[in-house]
Amino acid sequence: MKTIKRAAVLLTLVTGLSAAPLLPAQPSPVVKPPAAAIEVEMIQPGEINLPAEFQVALYENLVQELQKKGGFSQVYRDGDRNAADVSDLVILHTRVIGFKQGSELKRDVTTVGGATSITIRCQFTDKEGKVLLERDITGKVRLIGDNLKATDDFAKKAATVAQETFSSDSTSSDSKKSGYKNVT
Amino acid sequence: MKCNRIVLWSLLLSLGTLISVSSAQQPPSATPASIEAVQVIGLTGVKQNSKGNLKVENGSLTFAFSKSTCEVPAASIQDVVTGTDSQRVIGGTVGTLSRLAPYGGGTALSLLRSKVDIITIQYRDPNGGLHGAIFTMPVGKAEFIKEALLAQGAHTSIRSQAKSNSNSPLQSEAMEQTK
Repeated sequence: MKTIKRAAVLLTLVTGLSAAPLLPAQPSPVVKPPAAAIEVEMIQPGEINLPAEFQVALYENLVQELQKKGGFSQVYRDGDRNAADVSDLVILHTRVIGFKQGSELKRDVTTVGGATSITIRCQFTDKEGKVLLERDITGKVRLIGDNLKATDDFAKKAATVAQETFSSDSTSSDSKKSGYKNVT
Repeated sequence: MKCNRIVLWSLLLSLGTLISVSSAQQPPSATPASIEAVQVIGLTGVKQNSKGNLKVENGSLTFAFSKSTCEVPAASIQDVVTGTDSQRVIGGTVGTLSRLAPYGGGTALSLLRSKVDIITIQYRDPNGGLHGAIFTMPVGKAEFIKEALLAQGAHTSIRSQAKSNSNSPLQSEAMEQTK
């Protein structure tokens, strides 16, 4: 009887010890290589007649959002000489492919019309110009806020995409919220 | 008679000198007094939609707000563009909450709008990094700021209103943007 008890205790200990190292190994996520830094180039209006304030607001909001939640240790602005020395650098090129300037007054009065939307092709490349990711992202303001709020919406979505793709602490659950589509 | 002529000539001469001195002492039209403005976005260390005073002096664009100032050297500005927009007279949180007013009161309030001038600048920091900033101000003030900046070394992709031969600045800007 004593031997059975000892054997049972031993067995419990052995199984417990052998299972212990497996426990933390199971939920460990796939670690993506984090990009050290990103350089944000100025928004290119392309063939779209984009007002200067929209161009600047898009750029500034994008820089701010990437600094807040992009997951990069450093965010460089277009033309920053310090970016030249960074080896693991991602460069974000952006081009406006769609723009509809709505009306805040119309939104206020009708609550259904007057939406402002901006669609931008975002291309993430490495230093050599190799495309790492290309997405079309749309920023919108439908109900409350001035027209420039659409630029803020775009920036938040773009930063989420950057975080999901290049940051090690990203979560896949954010992808449904970001409202982007892949470019083929 | 001769004495009178001498007196007249000396008077005319002194008047001419006075006029030339006063015109030399006049501040150039490129340095207007400070203008109330709202910094919508862009200046480093300044919160979005901060109210303050904007002026151009000593080769810099200065935005003074709540006991602090932010300066951008005019020479570092590579583009200055003006535009116009309208905004709700009652803005901010109160403006948003007013939408909930009964009997369409919110809608009526949103019809109260005022026109504003917008000035947008793009400039480089000492590291070469590109920044952009947007200011709104009362109608008719943006051109003064733009003229002053251009006089002090700023650049523009769109010619100023004074030099433009077109009918309106908005038309000229629209034309330049489509080029």
